Amino acid sequence: MIRKEINKISEVGKALISVEGNPGVALNHVVELLEADTNQSLSFAKAINITEDATRFQVFNGTAGLSTKTKIRMLEVPLTAGFSNKMLGRSFDGAGQVADGGPEVIFEKEISTRLDTLNPTVRNVPKQALWTGIPMIDVFNTLVKSQKIPIFAGPTEPYNRLLSQIAQGAQADVIIFAGIGLKFDEYQYFKDQLSQSGNIDKTIMFTHLAGDSQIKGLMLPDVALSVAREFGDQGKDVLVLLTDMTNWSNILRNVANYQDMIPSLQGYPGSLYSELAKRYEVAADIEGAGSITIIGATTLESLEDPVPDNTGYITEGQFFLENGKLKLARSLSRLKQGVNGKTRSDHRAIMTAMASLLADAEKAHEASEVGAANDPYSQKLLRYRTDFINNIEEPFGEPIELEAALDKCWAILKRHFEPTETGLSKKLIDEYWDKN
Amino acid sequence: MNDISKKRTGNLISIQDSLVKARFFDDVIMGETAEISVDGKFLQAEVLQILPDPKNADAGIVEMQVFEDLTGAKIGDEVVFKGTPLSVLLGPGLLTSVWDGLQNPLYKLSEQDAYLTPGMNAPALDEEAIWDFTPIVKVGDAVAGGDVIGTVPEGKVDHKILVPFSFGPCKVESIIEKSSVNITQQVAIVVDEQGNKHELKLAFRQPVKSPIPFKERAIPTKPISTGVRVIDLLAPVGYGGTVGNPGPFGAGKTVLQHSLCKYAVADIIVMAACGERAGEAVEVFKEFAELEDPTTGESLMKRMCIFGNTSSMPVAAREASVFIALTVGEYYRYQGKKVVMLADSTSRWAQALRERSGRQGDIPGPEAFPMDIPDQIKGMYQRAGEDLGTGGSLTFIGTVSPAGGNFQEPVTQATMDATGGFWGLSQDRADAKKYPAIDPLVYTTSVYDGFISWKDRQKMLTTLNEANDIDQTISTIGLKKVPVSNYIQYQKGLTIDFCVMQQDAFEKTDACTRPERLEIINQATQNLIDNTIDFQAGDLDDEQLKELIKHKFDELRQWWRDWNYSAKTEEELAKLPKAVDKFILQEEYAV
Repeated sequence: MIRKEINKISEVGKALISVEGNPGVALNHVVELLEADTNQSLSFAKAINITEDATRFQVFNGTAGLSTKTKIRMLEVPLTAGFSNKMLGRSFDGAGQVADGGPEVIFEKEISTRLDTLNPTVRNVPKQALWTGIPMIDVFNTLVKSQKIPIFAGPTEPYNRLLSQIAQGAQADVIIFAGIGLKFDEYQYFKDQLSQSGNIDKTIMFTHLAGDSQIKGLMLPDVALSVAREFGDQGKDVLVLLTDMTNWSNILRNVANYQDMIPSLQGYPGSLYSELAKRYEVAADIEGAGSITIIGATTLESLEDPVPDNTGYITEGQFFLENGKLKLARSLSRLKQGVNGKTRSDHRAIMTAMASLLADAEKAHEASEVGAANDPYSQKLLRYRTDFINNIEEPFGEPIELEAALDKCWAILKRHFEPTETGLSKKLIDEYWDKN
Repeated sequence: MNDISKKRTGNLISIQDSLVKARFFDDVIMGETAEISVDGKFLQAEVLQILPDPKNADAGIVEMQVFEDLTGAKIGDEVVFKGTPLSVLLGPGLLTSVWDGLQNPLYKLSEQDAYLTPGMNAPALDEEAIWDFTPIVKVGDAVAGGDVIGTVPEGKVDHKILVPFSFGPCKVESIIEKSSVNITQQVAIVVDEQGNKHELKLAFRQPVKSPIPFKERAIPTKPISTGVRVIDLLAPVGYGGTVGNPGPFGAGKTVLQHSLCKYAVADIIVMAACGERAGEAVEVFKEFAELEDPTTGESLMKRMCIFGNTSSMPVAAREASVFIALTVGEYYRYQGKKVVMLADSTSRWAQALRERSGRQGDIPGPEAFPMDIPDQIKGMYQRAGEDLGTGGSLTFIGTVSPAGGNFQEPVTQATMDATGGFWGLSQDRADAKKYPAIDPLVYTTSVYDGFISWKDRQKMLTTLNEANDIDQTISTIGLKKVPVSNYIQYQKGLTIDFCVMQQDAFEKTDACTRPERLEIINQATQNLIDNTIDFQAGDLDDEQLKELIKHKFDELRQWWRDWNYSAKTEEELAKLPKAVDKFILQEEYAV
């Protein structure tokens, strides 16, 4: 088939090019950029803004080296990604091209990367826990199959270690790793961890390293999530690891800026919420098919930053990592109520009681810093707080089963409090207090 | 009206995300809807602005927002203008329905594909469902827009069939006998003053951006029993009232909305899930079907309808979803029903406007929101109200998702200005896992006589305020320097907070408190506030005495919370005030 070609590029900017006139390209359709003399393929690009006077494209491989003479070949199809079961165990870039130096993958089919919304009526209400062996998650903020939840952490926190630890124990058929703006060390760390835990053969890695083309980073989640969705549609339980979505949002901000969009907060486009939501909403437990669970990482300086703030409104809770500990106060699993009522009879009550005592303990801790927490009860609270931080908020260590973790909670309460101080019902006290 | 020869068209000249421009040569009406033909599919759009064409003096340019993904659209694609503004189909079958933001029924669409793809649509109301129509007007009767011509039972709801609101004075020329019909069949013919005949069916289309009128509007004063104690005691909302409910993420807005859906005493609940998580809407329409309506005992879904324009759906349809839901609410209010509308979240609606105005290149207001956002928010809440003329009401409870949890941001501020009530959710209370996280000290209400007297409410508040102050004193100077009397006052406040203001949304008995139970709780609470308690210090020193006081109050709180969870019978309920009386006298009560 002869493809229509455009022979003059009128404008080359950062990540974007424009042509004059109306060559007849459709919105979001892909074109190929070719070296004028040799017809050597330089990159693909996508039409993002079309008027009768000009068409603007996002260039996947960046614009360095392009000239006004670079040829544009119209492919007349929207962006797709290749899909094959043979992708398992392999690494790809943000556009879905092989990136591990291994042989080419012969794709079984091309899938749309448009991320159409799943009809809400074919979603199942999430009801199945994913146990991690981490008490702060299993007891206090139970992770649920099909949940979308990020780890919020400062840039120097061990969030990738935590993400990798959750992935290693995960009960998933397929793991999709989607890394955006990663440092090489982080990429290699994940690869090593997944290999060591024997999960590499069920993993597909999509990686964009810091310094790679921005557009490839921008499109990476769509490619990775479309592949994840295809496995989900085939009945597989898929776990997607998205790290780090702050890097992704920053690319989104850069590109919006190149496109002269009016910024809303801190330079991010007004569509930041919708753009993040479109990706996270891929998480679903699909009626008659499989499921997609998304655990992300969002680095932040402050919770009020637009990226974590918008993310928090989109995701079903967050795990908050601070000083290497998973903090109870700011962590939340919105789906836990669907699973923690069917475990042990004390699960919900102990969760609430310990959280409430910890909130009091935090107040006592603040008071103690100005020398005001001298009464015996405040002292009790302070001892409890230390115990809780060291034994419950510590995410790294030997995995603990749920029942053992609950017993551990009772033991901590008993070490510091009288039964009536816990706010727990008499019935539960009678049943569990003396057992531990 | 549907004259094919009068087909008006245009052609696309600019495409950017969901905003397009088209050139036209005929005429275009501001606010009318249009269909854009893309790859053989028809995408829905709405006219936002009409401009001159700098290139062609005979033509004009129309700017439109498109409600669906435009992938594949090209310059020159045809636009067909529909002549009618954005509207909603009103009629029997609204209840129990689940739609997207443009009233496409989601269950019907799922028969076509598991994913929502551009151009997909289906009739808004089930055209095959049969309704038992009973006429109440007869041939020759004078009728006009909004008048009732008959009724059909819609579940337990007596659904009135109305003359479309746009109609002027008419005479009934014919009307069918009592019979079973669907919404596509003619039930009556009316003739207007110009002698034009109009066919009436069970359903009709109504524009959504202008309100359905009131007959006799009133100030909302009768409180709604929401089942949520802190609301019903301190910040009640009246039938027809408006409430803004802001809170940072994780503060419990959604759990609270779900509680209101389940327990608020109302005839009909209209929910606009606007730009929020799909999972939450799913929980409502899949799980609520199993729950009982507090007034009828039937499935909860039978009193509900849901517009789910969730966060990954096209942004342009978000604005539409709120207006469509409001119009459905107004329609049932006009029928005399008590309607509660929940919009979660109005911030997403405002953000959709922000995205649009950004693309249109408007000069941005604070935080890049459109300059007129406060007026738009006010206009929206103004559509709620009580109608004495019909006996119906439309209560509007909108959640607000302030960026960074900061209540100073433009949407929260405009909402505070627009609504009669304000339930502020606090991060600190949420962090302490206190539910509901409505801060008893940060709220407003316009209902003065709620379920308890104004005086009782003030006493409760004063106690909570004092406890809050003493708490801060303890934190700064330490417990030792706080007098015993203040410490008792502090413990009273803690008890009211823990046992009355907080509630367990997931515990069957505690999740919902009705007025009778509320009165018992209030009685006990007032007694605790009013009476001094002698803890018989004996030879205890100050510190020991405070420990004893804390211990005694801990016991009371545990007993009270157990009562919250368990007391059901009249006899069990009566135990609370007795227990508190005995506690005041420091007698044994734990029986």
